[in-house]
Amino acid sequence: MDYTKQEFMAIITGREIKDGELIILGVGLPMLAGYFAQTNHAPNLRPFTEGGVYGSTPVGGLPWGIECNRISANATSFTNAIDALGFLVLSGRADNAVIGAAQVDKYGNVNTTGIWDEPPWKAGKYLPPRVRLNGSGGASDISVGCKRYLIMASHEKRRFMEKVDYISSTGFLTGGDSRKKCGFVGGGPAAIISTLGILRPDPQTKEFYLEAYYPFTTIDEVKASTDWDLKISPDVKIVIEPTDEELENLRSVDVTGFLRKNG
Amino acid sequence: MQNKLLSIQEAVANYTWDGMTYCNGAALPVGSCSIAFGKEMVKQKRKNLNVICHCGSQQINLLAAVGAVDRVEVGFSGLEVYGFAAGLNRAVISGKTRMEDYSNGAMALRFFGGAMNWPFVPATVSIHNDQQWCSADYPDEYPCTRKIPEITDPFTGKKYGAFRTIRPDVAAIHVTMADIYGNAIMLGTEWNRFEMSRASKKVVLVTDQIVHTDCMRQYPNLVRIISEVVDAVVYWPYAAWPQASPGLYDSDEEHMFYMNKMMKTEADTEAYCDQWVNSWNSHEEYMALIGEEKIEKISQTATGFLMDPYRKWIRSDAEIRELQDRTKG
Repeated sequence: MDYTKQEFMAIITGREIKDGELIILGVGLPMLAGYFAQTNHAPNLRPFTEGGVYGSTPVGGLPWGIECNRISANATSFTNAIDALGFLVLSGRADNAVIGAAQVDKYGNVNTTGIWDEPPWKAGKYLPPRVRLNGSGGASDISVGCKRYLIMASHEKRRFMEKVDYISSTGFLTGGDSRKKCGFVGGGPAAIISTLGILRPDPQTKEFYLEAYYPFTTIDEVKASTDWDLKISPDVKIVIEPTDEELENLRSVDVTGFLRKNG
Repeated sequence: MQNKLLSIQEAVANYTWDGMTYCNGAALPVGSCSIAFGKEMVKQKRKNLNVICHCGSQQINLLAAVGAVDRVEVGFSGLEVYGFAAGLNRAVISGKTRMEDYSNGAMALRFFGGAMNWPFVPATVSIHNDQQWCSADYPDEYPCTRKIPEITDPFTGKKYGAFRTIRPDVAAIHVTMADIYGNAIMLGTEWNRFEMSRASKKVVLVTDQIVHTDCMRQYPNLVRIISEVVDAVVYWPYAAWPQASPGLYDSDEEHMFYMNKMMKTEADTEAYCDQWVNSWNSHEEYMALIGEEKIEKISQTATGFLMDPYRKWIRSDAEIRELQDRTKG
């Protein structure tokens, strides 16, 4: 079957989304995964963006942004950030979300802020980064407010780290009950869907382990692409390949072929 | 009610100054933003700005690229699918611009708190992570305890954070349509513009269309920015270009990438400004620069039908010119 790793990841993420969920979708890949789910198996999904764009589906391909005209041509409501990120997300009302990550660590903490030669937690001070990324946007709100959420990331050793340079969006912090002690209303990351497999948090330690991997990779490759000593589920599975129907549904959302251009 | 129409040159001259706390009224990085106003600030050589962004856009990308920004507060600094903001990032990495990060939800709450004139807003986000522990204002303190200090809920005893609220000196807010008094309707997400219009000490609207006040009387529920809080109205069609204005025009994909690429170096930024910022004064010159073909292309937006209910109230350029002359008195 002819598909890219990015398409595979989007479809696997989409499979994690349940019909009827109130779901907030971040810009880029997360949006494609969400609208794929709506087209494929979740017709009653209630997707919205952090700008407060409700009831719409993309027109003409991947939206350039969460307020782009491609997502504003058939909305049922336009509100604002206070409503979407405050009333629906920080309040604890939203069921699910999909966010991206430049770096993610073994406890599901996400960095989308910057890359340092010596990160702030190591340097003991906050100096300008070597590479500035985007900041957290609404993902930080999602990470503390949504009942659960999914993280999408390209599976590379420099991205799947023992400890991220900067925690932009809060996962399980240092594991165990360290997140619980903070008292957030949201439940934390439910899965990391990568370009190689699906990782889930251990119920006690909250460390992410490999639950399943894609048919085009191996456990060794996944381990070699992970900076921490990745634990493998005793029942580890191979993920079922996207079906023709799933691919067709994904491509009906991704009409400009964003996921095919980017490998 | 007072006719508040001002030229873009007068508005920048009267409402911006070096060292001010400036707020660019944007609906996120790809959409509605008062970009033409920011370009005029570059032309009038404003500097040492403290910018409250909420989200970055090509406006802050340009202002930072020319070195006009000393400090900025953001929830998100990039250009979404168009990429990282090259000019802003260059300024941050070099240390020229200090950047304080919050979440997008936090920025909205901080505007809300500013609008209420509250001393602080309780924080349930941007705490217990590096948005709390890292401060560009106090770089030697890690974990920083002064940016988002810990507070105790007096009812439950639980620990939270306290956000500093935001009261910008001036916000230049882009809207789809306004009347000459400063009542405005926004199509598309408001993002933070409602709270921002109440939090800022002065408000300048930069509008794509001027409509009769009868339009506001027909849809008063949709008038979320009110003349009571607005100080000046600048009529400037395609003010958000190369970004989008829902109902009127799409983002200019080619120019979004091109502009960002040019912001990467000081030399290219200068070349960009020569060609695209310092080369116009009148709106006719601005439109000629974008070019008829491009204007036609971006105006073919799938959101065009959103404007249908309002078209009959749009005032002509000739009418607006006459009204503008009257404010000059």
